[in-house]
Amino acid sequence: MSTSDDMDGGEGRRNALVAEYVLGLLSPAEHDRVHRLIENDQALRAERDFWVSRFAALNEGYEEVPAPDRLWPGIEARAFGDTRAPVKPGFWESLLLWRSIAAGALAVAVAAIGFNLLQPRPDVSSLTTQLVAALEQEGSNVKFVALYDGTGQVRLTALSGDAVPEKDFELWAIQGGNNPISMGVIPANQRSTVSIAPEVMAGWGEGSVLAITLEPKGGSPSGVPTGPIVAKGAVQQI
Amino acid sequence: MAMQAPSREVADLIARCALRDRAAFRALYDRTSAKLFGVVLRILKDRSEAEEAIQEVYVKIWQRADRYVAGDTSPISWLVAVARNHALDILRARRPMADDIDVALEIPDAGPSPERAAADSQERGRIERCLSTLEPDRAEAVRGAYLDGYSYDELAQRYAVPLNTMRTWLRRSLLKLRECLTA
Repeated sequence: MSTSDDMDGGEGRRNALVAEYVLGLLSPAEHDRVHRLIENDQALRAERDFWVSRFAALNEGYEEVPAPDRLWPGIEARAFGDTRAPVKPGFWESLLLWRSIAAGALAVAVAAIGFNLLQPRPDVSSLTTQLVAALEQEGSNVKFVALYDGTGQVRLTALSGDAVPEKDFELWAIQGGNNPISMGVIPANQRSTVSIAPEVMAGWGEGSVLAITLEPKGGSPSGVPTGPIVAKGAVQQI
Repeated sequence: MAMQAPSREVADLIARCALRDRAAFRALYDRTSAKLFGVVLRILKDRSEAEEAIQEVYVKIWQRADRYVAGDTSPISWLVAVARNHALDILRARRPMADDIDVALEIPDAGPSPERAAADSQERGRIERCLSTLEPDRAEAVRGAYLDGYSYDELAQRYAVPLNTMRTWLRRSLLKLRECLTA
């Protein structure tokens, strides 16, 4: 009782199977199996994305139904409860220790900004915006200060945060609703300078967000952030 | 891609969720929960189950906000997909073991892949046009599978045809649909 006879050969059967997967028509076992196949096959992923985006045009068929207000506290508790859980035991400092470091770090950040302002500026910078971002994240001890003085480069100063074995810190620029753009892997525990690529420069300015994620050695393999955010901060004018 | 302003705002809120901005998460919820609640309610057809599901959906959105890639799909389509898939997972877990008797045993090598999915806005109307090339009841079956999450069993009962007939119908309809959508 095989229906494979019904299909127009292999490719047709394959495409119909992915469509059935997207529609949710497969049995649990088959759904899981096709899910794994899709995850490991570029062409099948493209086929899945094809169906997802085409069927999405039917979403207008879903009527809006207000969700009861009382649901929000449950969502908040579950969502934010998770973020407070340590990502890697041993890597994160305790919140208490982090808080005690934070006060000192802030002082260093302020000092760093002040120091920067005292530096003789190159001519170009006197005409451009001075920008600063303090990068931090609750639950993480990673802290950086980023300074931009109009030279096309961001200077990063690591205030705290240890290197993680087999992992790298990767810096991202997030501008408006755009995808994070990688600005490359940055070293832990030291100063570094990152050049601003043209696509970042296009939207660069106050309101841009810099974020640091923990990625596999050498940076995210996919070009999009894959690991947890260990520090972030909005770029501000000074 | 020219995103409409509301769409861009939702994309922005998702991006801010990825940066663990809790106020943005709340704003995203206020903005989109009626749509997503409509999705889980229509599929689960049970209010208390839908209320539980919508909470899990938003927890997933918070946890996976960094996986949203702007440009591939509209932000609201991405959110609907998270809600819809979650509701379908619940249905799958609830259903009796389906027989796997005639599922394809292996997926043959990939042929030419479809072009990168265009923005939803460009697709609007196109799927409707293509569905209208199918026989009306088959188009309705496809729509029911998508919007209501009907299983083959449920579809077979609704259209009073044997299960395997429904499978054959649906698969042929999907291939025809694909042909039209890629034409």
